[in-house]
Amino acid sequence: MNESSRLWKDMLGRTLYRAVAMATLAFVLAPLVVVVWASFFSNKILSFPPQGYTTDWFIRAWQQDVFRQGFLLSLQLGVMATLWSLLLGVPAALALARYNFPGREAINAILMAPMMVPGIVAGAAVYIFFIEVEIRTEIPLVGSLPGLSIAHVLIGLPWTVRLVTASMVGVDRQIEEAALSLGANPLVTFFKVTLPLVRPGIVAGAMFSFIVSFIDLEKSLFLVGPGRVTLPIAIVNYLEWNLDSTIAAVATMQILVIAAALLVSDRYFKLSRSF
Amino acid sequence: MTSFVALSHGGRSSDTARAAPLLTAAVLLVIVFLFLPLAIMFRFSLNKFVPGQFMVEALVLENYQKFISDEFYRGVLYTTIRVALVSTILSLIFGFPLAYMIARARSARTKNILILLVVIPLLMGNAVRTAGWMVLLGDRGVVNMLLQMVSLTTEPIKILYTETAVLIGIVAVLLPYMIITLYSIIEGIDRVYEEAASSLGARPSEVMRLVIVPMAMPGVYVGSAICFILAMNAYATPVLIGGPEFHMMGPKVYEQITKVSNWPFGSALAFVLTAVTAVLTILSSITVQRRYGRM
Repeated sequence: MNESSRLWKDMLGRTLYRAVAMATLAFVLAPLVVVVWASFFSNKILSFPPQGYTTDWFIRAWQQDVFRQGFLLSLQLGVMATLWSLLLGVPAALALARYNFPGREAINAILMAPMMVPGIVAGAAVYIFFIEVEIRTEIPLVGSLPGLSIAHVLIGLPWTVRLVTASMVGVDRQIEEAALSLGANPLVTFFKVTLPLVRPGIVAGAMFSFIVSFIDLEKSLFLVGPGRVTLPIAIVNYLEWNLDSTIAAVATMQILVIAAALLVSDRYFKLSRSF
Repeated sequence: MTSFVALSHGGRSSDTARAAPLLTAAVLLVIVFLFLPLAIMFRFSLNKFVPGQFMVEALVLENYQKFISDEFYRGVLYTTIRVALVSTILSLIFGFPLAYMIARARSARTKNILILLVVIPLLMGNAVRTAGWMVLLGDRGVVNMLLQMVSLTTEPIKILYTETAVLIGIVAVLLPYMIITLYSIIEGIDRVYEEAASSLGARPSEVMRLVIVPMAMPGVYVGSAICFILAMNAYATPVLIGGPEFHMMGPKVYEQITKVSNWPFGSALAFVLTAVTAVLTILSSITVQRRYGRM
């Protein structure tokens, strides 16, 4: 084989590799782009190409109780999951990052378990458990706000623990010791020294807790009830029977909420650097 | 509050005393609302289901035997394994070039943008992306429009509600996980290896095959395991993109437990799914490692 045909082959190979890489990127982004695009079509029946553009579908989506309530419920659950994950997860992360005690690895594994157990299996187990508790105590859990909240805290907790622990490991303990030896009490030291140092981890943990709670499908699927359906479940239920620009508008609303969460947290930590 | 900040690097017992109050609430939450429910579900999978009476206390393997002897459910498991395996392999093949491109991007800015573009679809959720695929693949969707425009077909081709469509949807879900896992490993491979190989006369394809891929093997193992587990447990994609005639294990667990209310059999299905996933993941990682060396 002569030199020039080798060079041709190498160039062809390089072009092919770039083409596959870019095609893969387009493939991953395609459904999002298309769903946002379709939410502005003026066609009565969703089809391509569009005959014109309108924002009516967003108004129609908001007028449907199941989507409006679903949107607000998912927002509420997301905020609740974030706050409780921080309240429980930040102290746990501190303990895991700072102290060396027997069974530390096991405790860490327990706290990561909600992320590891498949959603559909965990959802089924929690559903059965809640109904058993309901039968014995008559406290309604399935289809109730407390029941959904517990499940969503469980969804957010491992993310908070993991991201806060990771950010704590890099913090020099001597900075805190310096503050203490200069007369700051432990409480002041925690809020004025420790917290600012681990803030990127806390913001990242909060953001991920909110997002994984907001988009959750499998666990929520078992626990929603009449009049209390989260946004992703409302989307899935609707898609089982219909496909139109209304649902594209609802999906676009979910995209906007998550984009907003990403933008808000962008000031404190860089998403692309956490991978 | 003093426990937040340890004054001295004390012994293990004082560490334990400080750590315990910080961990108790979080650990209890997981044990009570995840481990206990899983244990109860496992116990229920050994109960009997009597139509009309719901669930009867027993200690039998009936539900697992029913699964093994029932041709329909065996078929569902085979479909699930096949789809998970094929989609994992496809994600690996198509994810690798992009992961490599990201890891070797010249400027930090390009790298960050590419990572964001890969991760953002993941964070938008499966419901949204599934809606997108239905718009793309439906009879009046983008793909059929394009096919008709270039006159490849006059009648819309049925893509939605086929196994191919399910594979497309699941691969799209898996790709970000695969790409990020591979990227983080390739990023750690020093460029000098590639430069050394090229300067000694290796062609780009040989550098890839003989240097990069072998060194990226740990990422291949981990990424494939994550993707396989996710695909085995898929729910939204098979239900919506596969349609009512397409059956995978995840949707069957949901159906048996909530719609049919056959808790013993539904629980058994959940544990069969978990056990098969675990065994296949462990077995494949052992055989692959034996063939290509340890991670």
